[in-house]
Amino acid sequence: MSVFQIHAHPSRTTVWILSWFLFATGVICYFWVSSNRHRDNPDDRVMPTLRQMSQAFVDSTLKPAEDDEVAANASEQSFARRVRNSMLWKDTVATGRRFLISMALLFPAVLLGLHMGMFPHVGAFFLRFVLFFDKIVALSLLPILFIAFGIDELAKVMLIVVGVAPTIILDAFNLTRGVPKEQIVKGFTLGAGDFSITYRVVLKQIWPRVLNSIRLNLKSVMLFLFAGEMIASTDGLAYRIALLRRHMGMDTIIPYVLWVALLLFLVDFGMRTLNRTLHPWFQEA
Amino acid sequence: MAAAPTVLDNQIDPASLNVPALIRIQDVLVEYGQPGKPPKRILNGVSLDIQAGEFISIVGQTGCGKSTLLRLVLAEEMPTRGQVLIEGAPRRQPDRHCGYVPQKYSLFPDRTVLENITFGLEVTEIGFFGGLSPRRRLRRKQFRSEAISFLLRMGLRESDASKYPHQLSGGMQQRVAIAQALIMRPRILLMDEAFSALDPGTRAGMQRLIKDLWRETGTTVLFVTHNPREAVILATRVIALGRTGADEDGANIVLNLPVPTSGNDDTIAGLIQRVEQTTFPGGGAESDEQAGAPEA
Repeated sequence: MSVFQIHAHPSRTTVWILSWFLFATGVICYFWVSSNRHRDNPDDRVMPTLRQMSQAFVDSTLKPAEDDEVAANASEQSFARRVRNSMLWKDTVATGRRFLISMALLFPAVLLGLHMGMFPHVGAFFLRFVLFFDKIVALSLLPILFIAFGIDELAKVMLIVVGVAPTIILDAFNLTRGVPKEQIVKGFTLGAGDFSITYRVVLKQIWPRVLNSIRLNLKSVMLFLFAGEMIASTDGLAYRIALLRRHMGMDTIIPYVLWVALLLFLVDFGMRTLNRTLHPWFQEA
Repeated sequence: MAAAPTVLDNQIDPASLNVPALIRIQDVLVEYGQPGKPPKRILNGVSLDIQAGEFISIVGQTGCGKSTLLRLVLAEEMPTRGQVLIEGAPRRQPDRHCGYVPQKYSLFPDRTVLENITFGLEVTEIGFFGGLSPRRRLRRKQFRSEAISFLLRMGLRESDASKYPHQLSGGMQQRVAIAQALIMRPRILLMDEAFSALDPGTRAGMQRLIKDLWRETGTTVLFVTHNPREAVILATRVIALGRTGADEDGANIVLNLPVPTSGNDDTIAGLIQRVEQTTFPGGGAESDEQAGAPEA
């Protein structure tokens, strides 16, 4: 039996083992190298042990950040309150808030793409401009955004919008143009007007694909958000990672990175589930 | 012994009535321009009057402009020259006066069968936010019961109402598409190779169904098909499009053949042969097996 057979049918156990193999190998290799380094140098900070990372993660979920003066004397508080005042919680909330605002601002991008695809005059007005904007590397605009909007929240949110919105607009535009002409003609012959067809026929049909497109752009959203937070912020997950880098705080950085990956996975999973639930007709979801 | 006459069931002979045409196509020329290339002429000088209640089959080879002619009547496309008048007036875009059943994408994939059928009634009578008022909710219930009766009339079951189009076979989808169009009671029903993708058995059933519905409703039907037999069996008049000159000249009507209301099998065979010879002089017509074999 060859591994490289197109018609191979691996058993469920084989699939399970194969799919987890690289994870297991990575984890084992890390801890093997880590334990060797700690044997040579017990104060090694580059590759913390599992115990060190667990301790750092517990600290970050129960203790406030060192620079958080307001919550510094919260050691006598209840567990729930300690979690709410903790470094990880506050950073997650700050990043999550920016993430949600950015996602909300992407909704008009979908509508713009829809109208560009439906109404030729709107398309002619915006398309060339959006295509041009799409080619601009958003991170190169970062200094301009900080100068124009200051270094607070607006600049970071604008960075995400500038970075991701053109892609979403063009995706929505292409999806709209991809709706078969027959469907639009059918709508007219059934008495629907231009806007009824736009919202009740076309938007409803492209919506699950748009959600997929947004889902696939989640990493870009997070990339721009992290870039903004790392350069100019006083809270947030990326700010903390950048801050800890200066102190070689790998015992906290690694759990933070895994926490971000977990959050992103959960958002992705949630959007996929939502898409399947809201659009049972959508086969590709 | 003479063969018994086969009733073609074309009870209405509107062409014989002296009434103004429901659809008037006047000296229509359709050209598609491409930058840097000479325009491609599809139709050239087509003129045709269609009376209310007629069942017109439009037949012709691939690329001869059958669907273009249908799109002109639908007002989805405008002619380069000439005009198309519906009830004496030109139309600017498709509207509810014409029902439309295309070959593919005939249903909204995001709506159930019931929602597909009631879509037209809801957008025209209830509007965008109207569904919230109690009176409108009552009206919506009426739409649903009307849609169910249409569904049953189409030979589908009530349990099919909650299915999505992708859960139906091709024939069932086209039945729903016809119900969706007819529930709006259009003056004209345009069918663009609506049965082409169906297997012969299903196609024969659909042919019987559309003929029965035409007789019941009196809707004017324009039915585009590749198949001469299907064209003759269904229609009160067969319009064949073809090119008589060079390809660049575009197509025109090469045959305008009224189908008698009754006739024996020889008569039908003769008509089919005539359509075949005019439309497909070099052969290549769709076989009867492909087209289904409806009862004459």
